[in-house]
Amino acid sequence: MPMINVIEPGLQTTVQDLGRPMHQINGFPASGAMDQTALQVANLLVGNSPYAAALEFSLTGPTLRFMATTFIALTGAEFNAQLNGQPVKGYRCLQVHTGDILKIGPAIRGRIGYLAVAGGLHLPLVLDSRSTTLRLKLGGMDGRALVSGDRLPIEAKPTLVSYYHRHAPMPELPDLKTPVKISVLKGPQWEKFDEKDHERFLSGTYTVTNQSDRMGYRLKGDAMQTKQESMLSAATVMGGLQVPANGEPIVLMADRQTTGGYPLLAVVATADLSKLVQCRPKQQIKFELIELNAAQELLKQQQQNLKELRHRIKMARYQMPYGITREASQRIQRLFKE
Amino acid sequence: MTSYQIISVGDQALAIEFANRIDPVVNRHLQQIGRYILKQHLSAVKTIIPAYRTLTVTFDGGQTSFEELKDQLEPLIEKSMNAPLPPSKTWLIPVCYGGKYGPDLEDVARFAGLSTAEVIKEHTAQSYLIYFLGFLPGFAYMGSVDQKIAMPRLEQPRLEIPAGSVGIAGEQTGFYPVASPGGWRIIGQTPLKLYDEKNPASFYHAGDSVKFFAVDEEEFQKIQLADRLGKYQVKAVTSDADD
Repeated sequence: MPMINVIEPGLQTTVQDLGRPMHQINGFPASGAMDQTALQVANLLVGNSPYAAALEFSLTGPTLRFMATTFIALTGAEFNAQLNGQPVKGYRCLQVHTGDILKIGPAIRGRIGYLAVAGGLHLPLVLDSRSTTLRLKLGGMDGRALVSGDRLPIEAKPTLVSYYHRHAPMPELPDLKTPVKISVLKGPQWEKFDEKDHERFLSGTYTVTNQSDRMGYRLKGDAMQTKQESMLSAATVMGGLQVPANGEPIVLMADRQTTGGYPLLAVVATADLSKLVQCRPKQQIKFELIELNAAQELLKQQQQNLKELRHRIKMARYQMPYGITREASQRIQRLFKE
Repeated sequence: MTSYQIISVGDQALAIEFANRIDPVVNRHLQQIGRYILKQHLSAVKTIIPAYRTLTVTFDGGQTSFEELKDQLEPLIEKSMNAPLPPSKTWLIPVCYGGKYGPDLEDVARFAGLSTAEVIKEHTAQSYLIYFLGFLPGFAYMGSVDQKIAMPRLEQPRLEIPAGSVGIAGEQTGFYPVASPGGWRIIGQTPLKLYDEKNPASFYHAGDSVKFFAVDEEEFQKIQLADRLGKYQVKAVTSDADD
């Protein structure tokens, strides 16, 4: 079977897909990609189903050697990636050949990147998903992050229709210099906090701390002060702002526990989740309260954009140029070297 | 009729909330509603997550909206609440109480003003409803233990509780499927492997019940060995709904 060989694993590189939300009923974290939009775009660019598994990496990406001809796409955070020493762009489908080395390196902007490979990563499904949950040693590559020497099974893919047209606009990524604005909805326990807390939360600036991982991003900033009585545990959601005893919110992420006993002050609008996920430590955040229908509209717009991208790629098979791949240019390059 | 309200939890989830207390009848209705919703195979519904008194339904916000789904769910909830509760399954779980398996058994006995044997008798006297699974895979929130032995959590949680430990936290009782930090009062340990990375799905589910029975150390080891070899069959009894 064709493989990807892992030369350098990066800081924390895991296999992720859309997760196993169905198994939350049995206490399994949903897991899956932190930035689901970026994963979906990556899969679209290489012609995969939305459920295909890809690599997710945080802050520093891996260095990989491809042992087959196939197509890849890099999305999410922005990297100075190099393919055989030549700079390559994200949000674009790239052809790779046997022996090619992709060095992704550190993220310049944003936090979490994705690398999708045509046909997906051929790892076994665990509870209907290939996502890794590190805490439980579950799924993905033996339930752990990649290490040097790992071999990831893929499939060879010599051609891909509309290759030339497989690119997508890069989304806006948070910038450490300016606070990022995140839209939130009132959470189920919003009313359990007094008006002063509401004002504190909406006027304050919060900073993403180093204590942020796939389970949650712990924020530092004006702490909520309303005394909370103990609450019966309830289900958690991605992007829920949980307020623990110290009053500083934690944004719940992909590997969050399925249920929790801390009040949810607010919930991040799904359309702004990618933006929040891409915030690295020290990034400042300001929260803006929006209404439910506004959030639903934003979400529909986001899904519409994905649909349009899918449609554009599908229709591109009838557009010029039909068959150009990077192969031609690589051959020419090799000739020049010789 | 039990009253409830439906609230939004962000733009892709809603929660069906019942009265703010731990009530086995309410919870069993909630489990039934959850199963009923899943059975409808509504294309926009992604999953359900039950807890003590809430049933959270997550959905695809591109396919439906909170208001739309709420209108769609209300008649289903009414219908399933009027249906009789299904028979419940009770799992019989062996536990070796006290000693190195249950370091807090004596504290619980002191708290209750009972002998350790009486605490064991209390803990094994009744079956406990699994209200929901959460916190860790296969971590079952069960209740309610008798008031006498309902000792609150440790002030200072332990850094590591061995897998299989059986504990009490107030009226709740439960077992740790994997080693984990935790503050529950550990009164015993089950020899069963409750979480297996290679076969991670648990055999018990929310809505089932659990009844513990005491085994001595020798039996503990025997069952443990048989279980590891895949030769121990956890016993279960099915009973008609009695409440």
